[in-house]
Amino acid sequence: MKELGKGVRIRIRLIGALFTLGFVLVAMRAFDLQVMQEKQWDERAERQHQKVIPLTPQRGTIFDSNGEELAVSVDVDSIYVEPRKLEDRADATQKLAKALDLTPRAISAKLKGNSNFVWLKRQVAPAQSEQIKAMKLNGVGAIKEPRRFYPNSNLAAHLLGFTGLDPKGLEGLELKYDKMILGRGGYLVMERDALGRGIGAGTPQVQGATRGHDLYLTLDKNLQYIAERELADGLREADAKAGTVVMLEPSTGKVLAMASFPEYNPNALFRYKPSQWRNRAVCDSFEPGSTFKVFLMAAALNEAVVSTTQKIDCENGSYRVGGKEIHDHKKYQKLTPAEIIKYSSNIGSAKIGKMLERKNFHRYIEEFGFGQQTGIDLPGEAIGLVRPPERWFEVDLAAISFGQGISVTPIQLVAATAAIANGGYLMEPYIVERVVDSQGQVTMQNQPRMVRKVIAQDVAHVVSRMMEMTTEEGGTATNGRVPGFRVAGKTGTAQKVDPVTGGYSSDKRVASFVGFLPVEEPRLVMLVAIDEPKKGVYGGLLAAPVFSRIAAQAMQYLKVAPNQDVPAGEALPSLEQIFAEATAPERAKAQEVTTSEASSGPQMPDFMGFSYRQVLELMEERQLNISFRGRGRVIEQSPGPGVAIPYGAPVWVRMAPPS
Amino acid sequence: MFDRRLITHFDWTYLLLILLIAGIGIANLYSATSSWTTAVPPVYLKQFYWLGLGLLIIAVICLFDYRHLEYFSFPLYGGNLLLLVLVLAVGRTSMGATRWISLAGINVQPSEIMKIVIIVTLARYFSDKAHLRGFSLRELVAPGLLLGIPALLIMKQPDLGTALLVLCIGGTMALYAGVQRYAIMVIGLTGLAAASGGWFLLHDYQRQRILTFLNPERDPLGAGYHIIQSKIAVGSGGFGGLGFMKGTQSQLSFLPERHTDFAFSVFAEEWGLTGCLLLLVLYCLIVLWGLHIALRCNDRFGMYLALGVSAMLFWHIVVNLGMVIGLLPVVGVPLPLFSYGGTSMVTTMIGVGLLMNVSMRRFMF
Repeated sequence: MKELGKGVRIRIRLIGALFTLGFVLVAMRAFDLQVMQEKQWDERAERQHQKVIPLTPQRGTIFDSNGEELAVSVDVDSIYVEPRKLEDRADATQKLAKALDLTPRAISAKLKGNSNFVWLKRQVAPAQSEQIKAMKLNGVGAIKEPRRFYPNSNLAAHLLGFTGLDPKGLEGLELKYDKMILGRGGYLVMERDALGRGIGAGTPQVQGATRGHDLYLTLDKNLQYIAERELADGLREADAKAGTVVMLEPSTGKVLAMASFPEYNPNALFRYKPSQWRNRAVCDSFEPGSTFKVFLMAAALNEAVVSTTQKIDCENGSYRVGGKEIHDHKKYQKLTPAEIIKYSSNIGSAKIGKMLERKNFHRYIEEFGFGQQTGIDLPGEAIGLVRPPERWFEVDLAAISFGQGISVTPIQLVAATAAIANGGYLMEPYIVERVVDSQGQVTMQNQPRMVRKVIAQDVAHVVSRMMEMTTEEGGTATNGRVPGFRVAGKTGTAQKVDPVTGGYSSDKRVASFVGFLPVEEPRLVMLVAIDEPKKGVYGGLLAAPVFSRIAAQAMQYLKVAPNQDVPAGEALPSLEQIFAEATAPERAKAQEVTTSEASSGPQMPDFMGFSYRQVLELMEERQLNISFRGRGRVIEQSPGPGVAIPYGAPVWVRMAPPS
Repeated sequence: MFDRRLITHFDWTYLLLILLIAGIGIANLYSATSSWTTAVPPVYLKQFYWLGLGLLIIAVICLFDYRHLEYFSFPLYGGNLLLLVLVLAVGRTSMGATRWISLAGINVQPSEIMKIVIIVTLARYFSDKAHLRGFSLRELVAPGLLLGIPALLIMKQPDLGTALLVLCIGGTMALYAGVQRYAIMVIGLTGLAAASGGWFLLHDYQRQRILTFLNPERDPLGAGYHIIQSKIAVGSGGFGGLGFMKGTQSQLSFLPERHTDFAFSVFAEEWGLTGCLLLLVLYCLIVLWGLHIALRCNDRFGMYLALGVSAMLFWHIVVNLGMVIGLLPVVGVPLPLFSYGGTSMVTTMIGVGLLMNVSMRRFMF
């Protein structure tokens, strides 16, 4: 060793220094990566670890004109499985089947594929999801997903429409405004590994979701409620299968109420037939019958082919046109145009129609908006049937003059009537007042839109006055009177076309009444149509009283002061009466049934003092179907707490703002 | 007959350092492979068994005086060379390379054994021939052949990583033995020329590795995947790390080879810069301790032996870490005591055993 000595030591130290340098280099590089560039690498790691699953968007709320919720989205649990993380598949399948009320076979079918993520059951009841969570199965979890819910159940259901599970709007406003209401679903972001398997570190994050826009309607929930209730009552009295009420504000074309019957509950959609989902007010057309005489008269006066003082021979109740005999229900001799409307003479109308001539008449029919869509913001609007005048025979002109041989939709009829009520302007009916985004910004504002001026103002006033006479002594629509107000209206009783024979059915009719009030400054125009009544046929007897009841309550609700003497015993109902009446008889009925069937069915929980949301949550859990009245906290409920809920009985809570 | 001084001079500090690193390595393997449910027994447990075997090897080696090796060095070298030739002739091929051969039912990797044998052989050679002037170019021909022949055979398998390591170990020993400046310059220049020329001799996958080392993003899902994933893992560890068992890259299987060549990435992700620096200090310590043993040794053979083993450890560590953190191309060199694998453990422990043997017999004359 001596001969090497010092040199060796130096060389070993040198090598030691070089080795250390190697380690220092590595350390510096580590510092560079882990401290200087940490952020960059972190982001890259994040990016490749995330797996996204698209989620159901949260739809916007639909409010009525007073800001009451008509359609809301409530968060509900959806159950998912990550099959690869299941430890004991057979055991889990059994447990899940039991908890979710599914067959084990259905579950194993879902778990079979090669997927990393499977929805097991979406939008389950809270009780079920609690049960699942309590099991603490690895690879099974719940995510909140919004579910569409209609707090007022059947109220305005045809108009609002409904959504699918996904949740695209399928009908009604939900469909028409789907793009705005839908919102962006966002994604469930899960950590994942290199093979795309989800890993469940903590709760999955929801990212990128935006709530859909809210709709504010022109519809008034209370007017809608009144209309629906009175329509249902009227149909029951007439023993009719279907009916419609459409209420507009004449000056603007705003839809205040739109009721159709039969009704359905959008919260339990599939218990009803698809035919019940149809919004008859815009999707169905019918032969208007005598209500159409109003437009004939307006056209004739506007064209000055007839004067208000002219006497028209009504041929003593029987008149031949084009080889066919037409009749009046009573024998009339000479009538003024006003009297033709008042008594609803078919012969007089046919003669005026002839004076007006088919081309002119047809032009006015189109100008009043018949035979085309009104442009209302609802899907599936029908156009009715207006044949071109070249194809009208003599008898067709006569028939159309009194509203047969032509078909119209309820919304067309109301919009056209509104043009008479407001001085001659055809307004486009609309139902969405404005659209508001999740930040509260108004993204769309609907304004009243005039389609065209149809008749001169003085002609409109003359026709209004004629229509008012129908409700006066001797008129056909005395049942359409509203105490304290001047009411203009016209009844209609049209035979229905029998789809089998192609001719008019002998017993199937549509009884209708279209009118507006107060005549001097109309606040609402409304059509009541009753389809195939079995007790009685005439619009004046069946539809006019419904109009009267709805109108009276609406005037009261809209705080329109009566300006006529109210005959004794015909006082307008007070608001309290309107709404108390709405619940009391049903309530009595419900209680009655309750006592007899107390043993079966779910029990009504105690909702007293609950908030809107709390009630929704509980009803979701118990699978109840409750209608809401008012706003605030629950002050009253039916059935009472702990009382069994009989099948089909109305269930409601009344709410009032906390004082 | 058994010298008590063997016990008193036993290098406990060094053994403790080795055990500490191995322990950290096993814990790290536990984390890296925790998502694997199929391996029975689990990887970390197997590594534990290998460690046990490694300790046994140390004990056995320490029983014999290392100086006996001096006489066996050339026969060992010859035998190993024969095995390397045999491998090329009848070896088992897996994953595109022929590295294994079956000897009496046991699969051995002659290239791995060569790492030790070359140390012993060169130690013998240099301890005989070294002189103060340093080796001239002509004097380097013999050791050059001793080193070059096995390196070429290994490269032919092909196993570039091991071949390079053998060359690095031999080169370090030669440098230590002393090489004239003129010779160093000539070797350096020819080395450079050979490297540029050798590019065309490289296998395609080896070229790919070097290209992707230069720019990993060239092929992020293919050849660059290893480097990128490893850098993501190390980089996202940050200063303090993500915590034991919490490294997303490794726990989510993004990191390939995370129990073998890339075990350090797992560690770096979970323990951050802090853990890395600690581990680097430990590794640096075992290397420097090896040099310290060489320095203290009283005979030349032992000194060269200790130096060779230290060089072997150093190059393994630095090449592996350099690869993991993107300083060097991916060459498939395991990290001693950290990467899972019996072969690596046995080689390392033989080396460690030799070092301790040298250390404990330093006063015995």
